[in-house]
Amino acid sequence: MEIGLSHYLIISALLFSLGLYGVISRKHAVMVLMGLELILNAANINFVAFARFGGMNMDGQVAAVFVIILAAAEAAVALAILLNIYQHFKHVNLDEVDQMKE
Amino acid sequence: MDLTTLAFYFFAALTLGFGAVVVMSRNILHAAFSLLFTFFGIAGLYVLLFADFLAITQIMIYIGGILILIIFGVMLTTHITGVDVKSGRTGSIQLGGAVLVTLALAATLIIIATGTAWNESPAPEVTSTAELIGTSLLTRYLLAFEAASMLLLIAIVGAAFIARKKN
Amino acid sequence: MTDITPFTTHLLQSMQAFVPETALIVTFLLALAADLIWKKQRHISGYMALAGFIVTGFLLVQQQSVTGITFSGMLVIDHFGIFIKWVILLSAMLVVLFSFISGELHQAYTRLGEYYILIVGMVFGMFLLTGASNLVMIYLAIETMSISSYILSGYTKFVRRASEASMKYVIYGAVSSGVMVYGFSLLFGLTGSLQLHDIGAYLQQHSVDNLTLLMAGIMILAGFGYKISAVPFHYWTPDVYEGAPVTITALLSVASKAAGFAAMLRFFRLAFTAPFTAVDADWTVIGSIDWHFVLAVLAVLTMTLGNLVALWQSNMKRMLAYSSIAHAGYMLMAVAVLNDTGVAAILIYFFTYMIMNLGAFLIVQLVADKTGSEDLEAYSGLGYRSPLIGVALTVFLISLTGLPPTAGFIGKLYVFTSVISAGYVWLAIVGVLNSVVSLYYYVRVIRNMYLRDVESQGSKITFTPAVLALVLLLAVPTLILGIWFGPLVDWANLSMAITAFH
Repeated sequence: MEIGLSHYLIISALLFSLGLYGVISRKHAVMVLMGLELILNAANINFVAFARFGGMNMDGQVAAVFVIILAAAEAAVALAILLNIYQHFKHVNLDEVDQMKE
Repeated sequence: MDLTTLAFYFFAALTLGFGAVVVMSRNILHAAFSLLFTFFGIAGLYVLLFADFLAITQIMIYIGGILILIIFGVMLTTHITGVDVKSGRTGSIQLGGAVLVTLALAATLIIIATGTAWNESPAPEVTSTAELIGTSLLTRYLLAFEAASMLLLIAIVGAAFIARKKN
Repeated sequence: MTDITPFTTHLLQSMQAFVPETALIVTFLLALAADLIWKKQRHISGYMALAGFIVTGFLLVQQQSVTGITFSGMLVIDHFGIFIKWVILLSAMLVVLFSFISGELHQAYTRLGEYYILIVGMVFGMFLLTGASNLVMIYLAIETMSISSYILSGYTKFVRRASEASMKYVIYGAVSSGVMVYGFSLLFGLTGSLQLHDIGAYLQQHSVDNLTLLMAGIMILAGFGYKISAVPFHYWTPDVYEGAPVTITALLSVASKAAGFAAMLRFFRLAFTAPFTAVDADWTVIGSIDWHFVLAVLAVLTMTLGNLVALWQSNMKRMLAYSSIAHAGYMLMAVAVLNDTGVAAILIYFFTYMIMNLGAFLIVQLVADKTGSEDLEAYSGLGYRSPLIGVALTVFLISLTGLPPTAGFIGKLYVFTSVISAGYVWLAIVGVLNSVVSLYYYVRVIRNMYLRDVESQGSKITFTPAVLALVLLLAVPTLILGIWFGPLVDWANLSMAITAFH
């Protein structure tokens, strides 16, 4: 069978679902970040696949470049914040960092 | 089955297989190293999609940058020698909910992926995408390109401030 | 060699429309340099920021006549955007002033250089977001704004709850923008374009699968909804608002919400509604998905949950957080009608909301600095301990409830009118019921100030004249705008048309 657009989209759909599962089910904040990276990569596969099958529409690839740039910036800031949390709480488990009550 | 098809299934399996390990592994270091193979698989998929520049970018920034950051994050926020490295999941009821939500989402997205009439058109021959991306970045996306540099500056100033230990 | 003259000409024209943002970039860099050179001067970058904002304001005045699509369609400059930019700029200026007198910031940490610098960066991101008309640009602008605000919300990094606020904000924020990008990618796949008006034009000419469009729309709404703290994307709001420094809470509750609403309105105007040819008051939703209904449900959920949970709060900051969720709900009602009258109502509402909400947060900041508590109990007898502050807070709270003769009443009046005239009477009724509920928790604070523990709380609280002047600067307009609102309404009516044609 010829590999077409839908093959790539299915991979991206599964990767997105895996990422979201990681985000929902994990406590460790770095694990949540890894789930987030999967989500962003899923979006990027979509962008690149649509670019390829939409007549080599370079907008898709450019969008993917920007997503990669922003993912790097976001990861840097998020990890700096997590380091700071670790100084305070000695762990980075999301549900146990809970000073404020309802 | 020709070579491209074979390569596609290889990279797809690499991406999804290790992607599953990332979110399911109880050991956070295993998860971080699995992420490496996932990113690599995705870079392979980019090559198959004629995105040579992006494939290199993926390897350089994701594997060479973001992944290293994440591994640093793991090392600095986890007692590697202790038991803590096995990062727990949330409670079983919540876990069941997460599985259900994920399965429903995956099903919906696959229906969307296969059933939608996407905006498709035949692709012209392209030898290298680096030049096309470069031209786009400096013409149409010039503002976005410049704004991204501002964003990186803000991120550096901010991250350095937060991560700094003392005054 | 291709001819690039047309491109450079367009670029130079675009740069002329980009002057206020350029001023912000220059301010950012100058403040950064000044902070490095005069290390001893704690507020030097703050003064630079304030000066930069004033210059930006002057440049924005000159922009009133400039409209157009700039940078190959990346950014739209129109009156709607300029109105929102004013709200952002004024609130940022006021927050910088609040920061000068904030005890919280001064006790928690000795360096404040980065604080003001990041506020400038955040304003730059928000300016971009109000004009962004390309999916990449929207994502980039949201991230510029978010990354600054993630750090600012945890700026007092030795305070545990501020760090916690920062972590919750960054983790959930990153996930929601990730989901939004996935939605963008689906929309790109459907239409083959990242440009909002091209997407709109494509959707008008072709019929696309509803499920796909709905899924993409909801994913994108998750990103916008997070920024404006709409239920069910609001879960971060109470913790972040409570944990962050009060000044930053004030900025988040007004400016970043304004930018989020601007981006959301522009997105719906350009991508999901027609026509694109000329200025026309009636927007027609493209396709067969009833976005009116989706947004109306979001509005009802947002205001109802915000108001009901606010009833149980004993911490002022947390209560105002839920109150700000409820206010986002009222404004979402006007988004749901999807027409120009709704946009005008939102603009009026935002201007009044800016003044009264910043005022309320200023008083929370002052009281917290003097008494060391944000608890409702700390407000017992405040009306006698510091009469002027008591009266001012009463004015702000009455205005937040939406009773005459305050600015808040005018905002609510226009929102409800636009909702009813579009035929959504049920929505307006839910909104009015919600306002009645909100009366309870706002009045509880006023009761605490005047009717409780009057004898035991004898000691007077005094403030410097400068602080009192700042309070009056917000309290007086709240009253004036309640009576003399003609100019504001005229300005909003001039600004309500979102440029949708190419």
